[in-house]
Amino acid sequence: MSIEQIGQDVPARIDAPAPAVARPLGAGPFGAMLASRAGLAVVQAVILAVIIAAWQAVADGMHTEFWTSSPLGVARALAKWWSSGTLTTDLRLTLFEAGCGFVAGSLAGGIVGFVLGWIRGLGDVFEPFVLSLYTLPKIALAPLFVLWFGIGPLNKVMFAGLLVFFMVFFTTFQGIRQVDRDIVANARLLGASRAQIWTKIAMPYAAVWIFTGLRIGLPYALIGAIVGEFVAADSGVGFRIKESTSYFDTAGVFAGLVVLMAVSLLFLGLLKIVERHVLRWQDPGMTVTAPDHQA
Amino acid sequence: MFHETVVRFGALTAMGPTSLAVRAGEFLTVVGPSGCGKSTLLNLIAGTLQASSGQVLYDGRTVSGPNPHVGYITQKNYCLPWRTVAANIRLPLEFRRVQRAEAERRVAAAIRQVGLSGFEHAYPRQLSGGMLQRVMIARTLAYGPATYLMDEPFGSLDAQLRLHMHVELMRLWRETGSTFVFVTHDLHEAIALGDRVVVMSGRPGRPKFILGIDLPRPRDVVALQGDPRFGAYFRQLWDAIDVH
Ligand SMILES: Nc1ncnc2c1ncn2[C@@H]1O[C@H](COP(=O)(O)OP(=O)(O)O)[C@@H](O)[C@H]1O
Ligand SMILES: [Mg+2]
Repeated sequence: MSIEQIGQDVPARIDAPAPAVARPLGAGPFGAMLASRAGLAVVQAVILAVIIAAWQAVADGMHTEFWTSSPLGVARALAKWWSSGTLTTDLRLTLFEAGCGFVAGSLAGGIVGFVLGWIRGLGDVFEPFVLSLYTLPKIALAPLFVLWFGIGPLNKVMFAGLLVFFMVFFTTFQGIRQVDRDIVANARLLGASRAQIWTKIAMPYAAVWIFTGLRIGLPYALIGAIVGEFVAADSGVGFRIKESTSYFDTAGVFAGLVVLMAVSLLFLGLLKIVERHVLRWQDPGMTVTAPDHQA
Repeated sequence: MFHETVVRFGALTAMGPTSLAVRAGEFLTVVGPSGCGKSTLLNLIAGTLQASSGQVLYDGRTVSGPNPHVGYITQKNYCLPWRTVAANIRLPLEFRRVQRAEAERRVAAAIRQVGLSGFEHAYPRQLSGGMLQRVMIARTLAYGPATYLMDEPFGSLDAQLRLHMHVELMRLWRETGSTFVFVTHDLHEAIALGDRVVVMSGRPGRPKFILGIDLPRPRDVVALQGDPRFGAYFRQLWDAIDVH
């Protein structure tokens, strides 16, 4: 196995433009409905409502409230956290830890991935070392991080950063290695300096992979912060989930999960907006047809 | 100018002792069997390849690194997919730190010269092969090198479009007054465009025959095909290449 193979599940979107228009899934009115944006949103909202209703029905009808909680129970727990202010303080702490970890991990992963990917010899030298770290289940490092960085936020930041680092590192490394060397040689002939080749060729070239790394890395920032809080903490969303579990407060556990889900969806959405702007040249919707023979 | 230049790749001698002088402002075409070192010849002038022995001189100076005075156009298009047509053409000007206003002016002029007006803001993926090749030519025009090196630039275009590009290329050559070294495996193309045609021998390649093309300029590349002199030149080249 090589470092390049690890990132292989990353979609190589540079070569594979999506079809310009979503095709109806099948004939008939249902397929047509899915083809429009609004129609799709309606269908998705209905599915969500059905899931919530079924959850409530199972909890009420089969008396599983203790194990599965219920949408109403979760709502009550959230309302309680909100009014007591714990939701705000927990969320603020967890987001701070995940955010710092994400930024630090992305920067470090991006820079190291760039350097090792660009300088082939260096990448080959360090490949086995990075691989052995990669294959290590990093969760196992959590207790060690408590020893090194204490039980405060720093521990969670470092742990989140570590997880994000690997995700961003591998995708950046792979992206930079795929930079077309002919294009680089050509740029040199056009008068490019070393720095210009980095900023104007290599970095934009790898942007697709870097963004993929960021997208994969984002949930890992939350995972890192939550696992850190599981191991040792006195507040934060992860701590609140663990605390609720020890009181058999299932509604609290589910409320914590709902909060995490909402947060990561929000951030993925933001990232997608940035990505769409930076990578707008890939937009499959843009097509111009032009005759080759002009008068 | 080449003086007794030899290029070896390991045990393989790609180019035998070659001496050849390219005249300033001429349109020189190069033909020869594939693998005979035509691209190698251009790489030596561009400075992306160093001779194993012998000398390569440009304007009297030894070429020892990327040669900033040449523009290199190949069959492959080097468009950056994230840049628009105009931004791709501006690239060498950014590298050379040309003032923004001056750069914009030159980009606009180059776009007009190759007939890409209206496509300034299109992205490469939206363009056809012929238009991408025009972008590559415009990008070279924009920084106005004294010498154009072209390595089978129209090899992937269909015959009709290729004729069209020949007409445009002749016009550009007249307008720029630059020197062109144009590699091709198409004898028609070599005769129609060139002042002189260099025929390279099989590996290790070296110029074995140079044919001066004495056809009046400006040439009508389409009407030329029926000219009896054209047929005679073709015959001479065909015999000289002797692929067997
Ligand atoms: N970088 C290289 N390393 C090894 N051999 C090469 C290299 N470049 C070209 N060659 C060899 O040198 C010979 C001449 O190549 P080239 O100049 O590309 O030929 P042409 O353009 O006439 O087809 C070929 O046999 C080719 O395989
Ligand atoms: Mg070649």
